[in-house]
Amino acid sequence: MMRTVIACLLLALGGYAGAAWLTHGFQVWTAEGARRLEVALAPVPAPAVPVEGPAVAPQSLPQLLAAGSAVTIVDFFYTRCQTVCLALGSTFQQLQVSLQADPGAGVTLLSISFDPRDSTPDLRAYAARLRADPRHWRFVRAADARETARLLAAFQVTVVPAPHGDFEHNAALLVVDQHGRLVRVFDIAQQQLALDYARHLASGGRT
Amino acid sequence: MTRPLAALAAFFILLLPPVREGLEASMSLHMLVQAPLLALCGAVLAAALPARWRERIDRWNAHGIAGLFAVALAMALLMVPRLLDLAVADLRVDLIKAAILLACGAALRVSWARAGALVQGFFLGNVLPMTGAIGQLYQDSPLRLCNAYLLDDQVRLGQALVGAAVLAGVGWAAHLLMKADQGRPSPGANVPIDSGLAARIVWRTSRRSLDNTNMETRIP
Repeated sequence: MMRTVIACLLLALGGYAGAAWLTHGFQVWTAEGARRLEVALAPVPAPAVPVEGPAVAPQSLPQLLAAGSAVTIVDFFYTRCQTVCLALGSTFQQLQVSLQADPGAGVTLLSISFDPRDSTPDLRAYAARLRADPRHWRFVRAADARETARLLAAFQVTVVPAPHGDFEHNAALLVVDQHGRLVRVFDIAQQQLALDYARHLASGGRT
Repeated sequence: MTRPLAALAAFFILLLPPVREGLEASMSLHMLVQAPLLALCGAVLAAALPARWRERIDRWNAHGIAGLFAVALAMALLMVPRLLDLAVADLRVDLIKAAILLACGAALRVSWARAGALVQGFFLGNVLPMTGAIGQLYQDSPLRLCNAYLLDDQVRLGQALVGAAVLAGVGWAAHLLMKADQGRPSPGANVPIDSGLAARIVWRTSRRSLDNTNMETRIP
């Protein structure tokens, strides 16, 4: 019986260690929670993925993000999306209104398509539909599917094919600092928090 | 010795990339088909353990308590949604998961019969409500808990988990009642009572109470 007690104690220790590792010290339960915590603890430099889009000459993503030394709020989307991207689109429209009212904030918006079907004309039409102001809100896509996959992996964006040619993805507001590092991931519902945080960074605040 | 070899082969087939990807394509397949199959491989392998090994394991596993405790811990960890995502995204995590499930199956095999109704009931009384609660959570969550899976898949898995927990509980209780019934056959029963059956019942009862043998004799 003593041996069984010892075995159970060892098992309990092992289970505790496993659970603590899996949940980042009992703070998160989902992969999305872990992603947000990991990004907040250790900023992720944007990978050198070539991107292009309407009003954006082909260049690497870090170049684009560092240009103008502005803080960027990034989202991932695809133009055929009928669900969460529409919500993201209207969130970005509201953010754009705030930025138009405060042009010196040093914050810009960037929507990145992950759908290989999306061409630059598709992005242009989508931007026009959302009345995007290119001074504040730009649209790009990676050069090809492999580069897209590299970008999604670096920023821990998981895209799952769904029925009817749709995609399910962990949509969020990604705040990238002036040096092109992803520093914080906010929920779609936290748009004011994301904007305030981006402004704080742009005005020289620390992460 | 063909059974353990088949189990070993099945284990490695389950780990082959196309099989892995197929079974992990949906949340329900991942948790309700792949996981039980991996555990089944472990159970079949454990059944073939030489008597000397079993004896050594049994010394650390009085009344099957350590084994069932390990299974309960592993089940709790496997129900953390992040683990499913990690297993899909990271081969290393998936291999560790497979090894843990193999060990769980083996632990169940070497512990269940030794546990007796009390320890079994304690184990199920913890594990089944946990499974049901997680299943309810999966059904009720308006958000996807796993980045790799769709929301309707999550709801289906939640329903299946609740169903499995209820079925397991009812099945165990029914088994227990049937066994209790067999212990005292009524005079009107159409089972012919012979001395052999009585002897087998007595033997089984004594074996259950002593439970220090590692013979696995099946009694019809």
